[in-house]
Amino acid sequence: MERGKLIVEKVEGKSTLTRCLSKYPMKFIVPKKVGSSQTDVVWIYTITYGGGIVSGDSIAFDFTVADSCIAVLTTQSSTKVYKSIASKCSQQLLEASIGRDALLVVIPDPVTCFSTARYSQTQNFTLATDSSLLLVDWITSGRHERGEKWAFSYYKSTNRILLQDGEPLFLDTTLLEQETHGAISDRMKDYQAIAMIVLLGPKLQQIQKQTEEDVKKIMSQQFSFPSNSSSKPDMKPDFVASCSRFGPKGMGVVVRVASMTTEAIYSFLQHQLASMEELVGAPPYR
Amino acid sequence: MEGLGDANEINARCLSASFPQLWSQWQLLDSILPTGGFAHSFGLEAAMQSRLVTTTDDLKTYVIHVLENAGSLLLPFICATTISPDAQTLRRLDRLLNAMLTNEVSRKASTAQGSALMRVAASVFSEIPCLKTMRGEALSSGELYFHHAPVFGLVCGLLGFDAETTQKAYMFVTMRDIISAATRLNLVGPLGAAVLQHQVAPVAESLSTKWMNRSVDEACQTCPLLDTVQGCHSYLFSRLFCS
Repeated sequence: MERGKLIVEKVEGKSTLTRCLSKYPMKFIVPKKVGSSQTDVVWIYTITYGGGIVSGDSIAFDFTVADSCIAVLTTQSSTKVYKSIASKCSQQLLEASIGRDALLVVIPDPVTCFSTARYSQTQNFTLATDSSLLLVDWITSGRHERGEKWAFSYYKSTNRILLQDGEPLFLDTTLLEQETHGAISDRMKDYQAIAMIVLLGPKLQQIQKQTEEDVKKIMSQQFSFPSNSSSKPDMKPDFVASCSRFGPKGMGVVVRVASMTTEAIYSFLQHQLASMEELVGAPPYR
Repeated sequence: MEGLGDANEINARCLSASFPQLWSQWQLLDSILPTGGFAHSFGLEAAMQSRLVTTTDDLKTYVIHVLENAGSLLLPFICATTISPDAQTLRRLDRLLNAMLTNEVSRKASTAQGSALMRVAASVFSEIPCLKTMRGEALSSGELYFHHAPVFGLVCGLLGFDAETTQKAYMFVTMRDIISAATRLNLVGPLGAAVLQHQVAPVAESLSTKWMNRSVDEACQTCPLLDTVQGCHSYLFSRLFCS
């Protein structure tokens, strides 16, 4: 199956999109200017024809961010995955390669799977030791205003971060499948959205530290009262987040979030990633 | 008469070959084995302090979710080292699991338990000298993280257990340890804990059957909420457990 292709490389010293091939049903939109013209960055929006991923769709593309370039991959709105027909599974595959001193920022809106949808996505990132990657991967419970809460049939998201010699740095596959031992909603309790944020590389060191401190502050407030306190006796926190270091010398940070509202995660992302404006010209998730 | 004698001798030999194995199996699954499993709550302490688990019903559900996640994420690693209990396989799977345990709390718990198990097994099962040599080489080279699941599979494999038994045994010790943590967290009394363990056993059996014998490429986590909450362990105001 032929794949889409994106290449961002330096042309006359500026990060430039030199190759842009999209394959139906995916389309790339590349605005000429995002934010300040001083910033050296290329923003790419992915959209799907029909406004969402239809049962059985298969989308794949390669993305190369050459040495010292900065590229942003994002969406215009939540990626909707429509219901599965005849148990077909839709798939999306991204193979990205980030060069030396380069930065790739992947900041999509969340995936929203409709009732009975089946969806699988794989994102593989190959990095040099001084590459940087900001990856946000998240999902909502579905069209919860229609009462669809974790009503999809199958969702699998695989994210792999490897060094150029093939050494695995970060491997994560999250699988949510309706099954005999309990609906997905049992595992999610009342939380309606979950997110994973990966911060890796020299360009993101400051954000890593700030995020660790902020998450610790937010969560310590949740736990500072002993469990038999009369304040908030039986209430789960609306928002739960935790940070972990990973990789040699703790070079990467992964943040996991569960929230009762999608808005709270947008808010969190907006706040934590605000300082990215300096690198990418505009604040993510504004 | 001679024929019968031969049959009896063969029978006796077979039985005597499996007896030491049976006693080793029981010892490995006994919570008295000093592997430090009692220091870990599998995120239960954080789940309690965030009010995600408050009743014994919540606890039962929690145990089942942890078992499901252990099945989906860790059984492939157990299976692989049980079938190939050698240093090369151990090293490869240990590194792979280290990249997959992205939750720092569970990653540290895994290496602590794995190191302890390797140390105990090398001392206890002296009839398997390669345990001691493998451990020694790994310690001096600094190459191994000693993650629990691959080490567990390796020890069982070297003791001659089959893959199915080993994978179920791992699910058993996981269930045993969370329920034990629950009693120390006063979520359930010792008798209630024993009743709960028996109630969950058929679920553990079917989860084992569902997730066993898969390749490590298929390893995945199935309870992201659990992972998120367990990651909060270091934010707890006061804690009894390491994880």
